[in-house]
Amino acid sequence: MAGIRIDNLVVGYGAEPVISDLSLDIADGSLFTLLGPSGCGKTTLLRTIAGFIPVRAGKLFFGDRDVTDLPAYRRDIGMVFQDYALFPDKSVYDNVAYGLRARNVPEATIKTTVGEYLERVGLSAFAQRMPAALSGGQRQRVALARALAIKPTVLLMDEPLSNLDAKLRVQVRETIADLQRQVGITTVLVTHDQEEALALSDRIGLLRLGKLEQVGGPEDLYARPVSAYVADFVGAANTLNVELSAPTTAGALAHVALEGANLQAFAPAALPAGKAVLIARGETLKLGPAANDANSIPCTVRRRQYLGGRTSFRVATASGREILVEAHGAVPGLAAGDAAALRFDPAQTLVVAS
Amino acid sequence: MTRHFKDVWFVLSAATLALFALFLLYPLLNVLSASLSAGTGGQSGWATLVNDPRYSSAVTNTLLLGAIVTVTSTLIGVPLAFVAARFSFHGKALIALLPMTTLIVPEVIAAQTWLMILGNNGFVTRAFADWGIRLPSFYGWFGLITVMTFVYYTYVYIGTLAAIKGFDSQLEEASQSLGVPPGRTLLKVMVPVVAPSILASALLVFTLVVGNFAVATILGQRVYLLSVLTYQSFVSEVGTNPVMQSTLASVSIGIVACALFAQRWIVSRGRYEIVQGRGAKPQPLAGLATLPIALGAALIMIVSLLPLVTIVAGAFTRARGPVMRWGEWTTANLERVFLSAPDPIVNTLIFAGIATVLSLLISTVVGFLVVKKRNALTPSIDYLSALPLALSGTVLGIGLMISFNGGFLPLAGTGAIIVVAYLIRRLPFGIRNASSTLYNIPNSIEDASISLGVPPLRTFFKVVFPLMLPSIAAAAVLVWTTTVAELSASVVVYSAGQETMPIQIFRLIDSNLMAQASAYGLVLVGVILIPILIATTVFKIDLFAAK
Repeated sequence: MAGIRIDNLVVGYGAEPVISDLSLDIADGSLFTLLGPSGCGKTTLLRTIAGFIPVRAGKLFFGDRDVTDLPAYRRDIGMVFQDYALFPDKSVYDNVAYGLRARNVPEATIKTTVGEYLERVGLSAFAQRMPAALSGGQRQRVALARALAIKPTVLLMDEPLSNLDAKLRVQVRETIADLQRQVGITTVLVTHDQEEALALSDRIGLLRLGKLEQVGGPEDLYARPVSAYVADFVGAANTLNVELSAPTTAGALAHVALEGANLQAFAPAALPAGKAVLIARGETLKLGPAANDANSIPCTVRRRQYLGGRTSFRVATASGREILVEAHGAVPGLAAGDAAALRFDPAQTLVVAS
Repeated sequence: MTRHFKDVWFVLSAATLALFALFLLYPLLNVLSASLSAGTGGQSGWATLVNDPRYSSAVTNTLLLGAIVTVTSTLIGVPLAFVAARFSFHGKALIALLPMTTLIVPEVIAAQTWLMILGNNGFVTRAFADWGIRLPSFYGWFGLITVMTFVYYTYVYIGTLAAIKGFDSQLEEASQSLGVPPGRTLLKVMVPVVAPSILASALLVFTLVVGNFAVATILGQRVYLLSVLTYQSFVSEVGTNPVMQSTLASVSIGIVACALFAQRWIVSRGRYEIVQGRGAKPQPLAGLATLPIALGAALIMIVSLLPLVTIVAGAFTRARGPVMRWGEWTTANLERVFLSAPDPIVNTLIFAGIATVLSLLISTVVGFLVVKKRNALTPSIDYLSALPLALSGTVLGIGLMISFNGGFLPLAGTGAIIVVAYLIRRLPFGIRNASSTLYNIPNSIEDASISLGVPPLRTFFKVVFPLMLPSIAAAAVLVWTTTVAELSASVVVYSAGQETMPIQIFRLIDSNLMAQASAYGLVLVGVILIPILIATTVFKIDLFAAK
């Protein structure tokens, strides 16, 4: 077992490589998620770690071992694919045994190892089945057992859940989470699903155009996004263009001008005066009757939707900007057309560079 | 770039490219350049072509014949495909066998059997003569069009059938729900969608007619055709400047290349996306239309199977010289073929056997490289591997003879040149069939094996090869059956003593010894039919899965 270290990695050709100068440390035994929209380079990065894509510049380490120039088959990785990639002509047992046989492990040992991992994924009874006779969730669990049975240094998963339906996705997600913690293997998971990333990861790297936009724990990305892009990709957020009257230091409360009002908001990084972006999640906003409340602006309720556990409002500011507000339970009193006051919580409202 | 990512496949790609360059590009360039040199009388081949009416009429005749047969094949193939796709009736299962007849009956045998029926000594011709009716001569346009139509309409049939079956019949229901009656719906909704497929297969027929040697030579007689004149120039120019043969070969390359480009263009433009093609269920035939449709289909079936019946009958019929004594049965013809003159059989089995094995090896590697291991060389490999489709057998044979007659690789006169001709001619066929399953094998399977610690080449043999096996087996049968029937290239490159069955049959037809030719024909059909039967019944291989 070992952590993964990526130093100044460049992948791809020409003036605009797919991944440019990317550095990253993944702690031993942790589950790291590469999150991002399609085309951001997350699968390219994963396949580079696996050794399927050559490195143009930079270094790649598994623990202390420099694997930059090692071919994939000698990197000692376990890999799980989006389309399962089970060998269709081999039984479940033979699929899981495949990597062990390549390592010339004695048949007796193979038998116990395969048995152990099939049991861990709950498929002991299916050893003699062919892949075609399994459901999607079962196939992905076989693929997981196959990848782990060789006791690899790192486990790499390329969108392992995206071919499964919603219910199975949650089941297999739990299998992955449990198994990863039991085995304690360093794991890199690629996904475009932010809920999956938040639920599974120790740390998340959000990739945008081949660069890491933000790396941090799930709470960091959700509660303290460094940019409007991160805020919008991880959960839904209201992002508003604002004016910053004076420069501000990192970790201070900044004063921003919005719709004529003067609001306070948290600045995670130092900002110059001028244009900035205000990030406010719907559930951190409070809607009350129109009154002169501190840190608030007047608004009009455009639409009200009662969704059981919460109520969702769409409100419009005086200049017509629309903002989404989420409130717990039913909120009596406010209906479409009513004037109201929208209050921002200074600690949970962020101001970042535009 | 780190080198280990490509090594093995790159070396294989380079080796394949070298092979294509030597046996395909080099001969082709030799043909084209020889056509530009000055021939006897100091005239270039192209000047002779324009000035000699024999040659210029051969070009127009060939184009005309190609156009006519393309139309007649379409007129038979399209309605038959529609009937097969949309109606069910007694004996329909027989229609499913039609694509097989093109495989089972080599062109030379088709030409021969038609002669035995309608030629000057044909039994139908003589029967009519006994009643005092003189049928028109089967030699010339009449015979050429008839035989080629029945040899080639199956290509249109297969292409059209696949297109109609893939057509979503919900589109028809949608049209009818919008108030368009069924007949006009077919015309306005289905025809535009399937038309590109029909046109593409029709153009394929055109190229096959232009390149056809067996039927053209046996039945052409006073109608000058490009392939026949090319072969005759080759025979008369042996040892001298290969100017005229090369010029005529170049013309044929040009015509076929144009048709193939047009075909590719149509295929690439006319691919409509049909969502979940739900083909219409065949309806039982009913009402007034029943009789003409069933009769028409039956007639086409009977005519298509006639060569098979004739060849069997001919093989067992007593003959004195060119005179067939129909009704008098004998095994003498077959005894002669097997006991006193078995060389053509042995030659065919040896040459075609070696060529088939080599072809499968190369096809498997090339298919894998082109589909799965793209690198800087594979696009050229892909194009070159399709190039033999643009060369008629005669042209390929001439190219090989010009290139390897002495020089650094003197293959002419040896059996090796026949094997090379077979190999190159049928390679596109082998590659297309051997690689057909590759498209369905996801790349991640290989990655999975490599990630589990198996190096690339071993991964290929452990994971990909077993999945390719069914298509390789189908390719084996198809390459074998089409190779043993090959005539037009081998008749150019062979030397005395290396006669194969098709060559021997061709020579016997020329000498009007039809019974003897029938006996070899029957053996040839057997050599083709037995592997097909074993493959389809014992191993349950779908031979036409790739189409």
